[in-house]
Amino acid sequence: MTGSFWRYTLLIAGKDLRIEGKSREVLYTMGFSAALVVLVFSFALSNATDPAQGPITAAGVLWAATLFTGTVALARVLDRERENEAIRALLLSPAPRAAIYAGKLLAVSLLMLAVEVVLVVLVGLLFSAEVFAHPGWLALVLLLGTLGFAATGVVFSAALLRSRSREALLGALLFPIAIPVLLAASRATACMFDPLAPDLEPVAFWVRFLLATDVIYILLGLWVFEPVVSGE
Amino acid sequence: MTMVALAYGFIWLAVFGYVFTVGRRLGRLNDELDDLRRRMDRVKT
Amino acid sequence: MTIPPALSLPTMPTAPAPTSTRFLAACGGAFLLLFLACLAVAEAPLESVMGLVQKIFYFHVPCAWLLMLSTFVCAGGSIAYLFRGSERGDRIALSAAELGVLFGMCVLVSGPLWAKAAWGVYWQWEARLTSSLLLWLMLVAYVLARRYGGPSARQLAAALALFAAVDIPLVYFSVRFFRSIHPQTTVVSTLGPGMRSAFWLSLLSFTVLWFVLMSLRLAVENAQARIVELEVLLDQAEEKKS
Repeated sequence: MTGSFWRYTLLIAGKDLRIEGKSREVLYTMGFSAALVVLVFSFALSNATDPAQGPITAAGVLWAATLFTGTVALARVLDRERENEAIRALLLSPAPRAAIYAGKLLAVSLLMLAVEVVLVVLVGLLFSAEVFAHPGWLALVLLLGTLGFAATGVVFSAALLRSRSREALLGALLFPIAIPVLLAASRATACMFDPLAPDLEPVAFWVRFLLATDVIYILLGLWVFEPVVSGE
Repeated sequence: MTMVALAYGFIWLAVFGYVFTVGRRLGRLNDELDDLRRRMDRVKT
Repeated sequence: MTIPPALSLPTMPTAPAPTSTRFLAACGGAFLLLFLACLAVAEAPLESVMGLVQKIFYFHVPCAWLLMLSTFVCAGGSIAYLFRGSERGDRIALSAAELGVLFGMCVLVSGPLWAKAAWGVYWQWEARLTSSLLLWLMLVAYVLARRYGGPSARQLAAALALFAAVDIPLVYFSVRFFRSIHPQTTVVSTLGPGMRSAFWLSLLSFTVLWFVLMSLRLAVENAQARIVELEVLLDQAEEKKS
């Protein structure tokens, strides 16, 4: 049972990533809009030269851009299933619903992480932040933050497949829920970017917090995904 | 103090406003029911 | 002509329940209780440090409690709807969410008015304030999704309610890690006797009010569902007849 769960999860994630590998539609549009968001912030905040606020600004911009571009990935990866009613075929297939959820979660997270690499470099350049001071911690926080955001996002964008005014609703529903993740991730990142920070104690705290949040969100997502997608 | 008056006034207004809108919805539903009742009489005769 | 038994029309509900005298009595009772609570609040002794502005507390705390109650009822109804297909759970969830929006608004207006006098600013990014604001935003999103999302947004809204309920403790702890200047819940036990009775009376009357409003709102929802059902039956009957 668990063996087939992982097999189906990898199958679905692999399918989405292969489609993406051929068209690169999501990666390019996401990467471009991510770059634009960072640029917009850097123009809007160009007068804020207070060095003490530098790390906080850089971390905030990084995570705000991640959230905005994450919705693009969510909308596109789930939207593909709407074309030609592919979602119906997917739901009729022997794959357990939880595996569909896990597969989509994996695909969206990997796409977001790929774009985040670009984002980190851009933020490092434009906000002159020490982004690579603690690469291991940064990777861990990026991974956990992305997982937490995508875990809720996949549920909502799957539910929105059958609903009107999808684009407007996705942001309205997702951002309030994602606030704890955003807060924890940007605090941890700000501490890492700050060369004056005495130690990484807060980072360790926020990582534990993110871990707990991710576990809760993913469990809840696995639990509600089935009734949400299979409803009338 | 004006703050206290504002806070209490707002809460009372909000609650009464809500009761009022729900009452209006109920009134509309009553009209619809009357409509249905007339249609039912027509079907029955 | 007689109607075939298969299409025998259901009995007409006389009127939506809320117009019944029993209901009006409950409504009147709730408002009377609330009025008494106001009198008790006016009678309560002045707080020695903050003075008159402390009186906002008597209505602010019950509203906050109702905001929490609404969220959990909404999440409970959503679980019943999502996992057992309970229509009633769905109606309860929607009604509770609307009440949550109403009382959340009261919390978010009365809180800053007190804070302006006590802290000197209207808003602080602080644990309780942030979590109630977010909770309120989620309930608003729930109601918006139900109203404008079309019929298939119901599952979506139910999922949102569940995430909202688990999100609250998370937001609370995350913001609390920086700072908390909001008075702790333990202030209730330190109140003087005159203040304490006023507080509990107002908490009680707000809770009664919540249940009365809830049944009112639920009756609207039930009547609506019944009307839709009747319309379908009548359409069939009329078609059969013509």
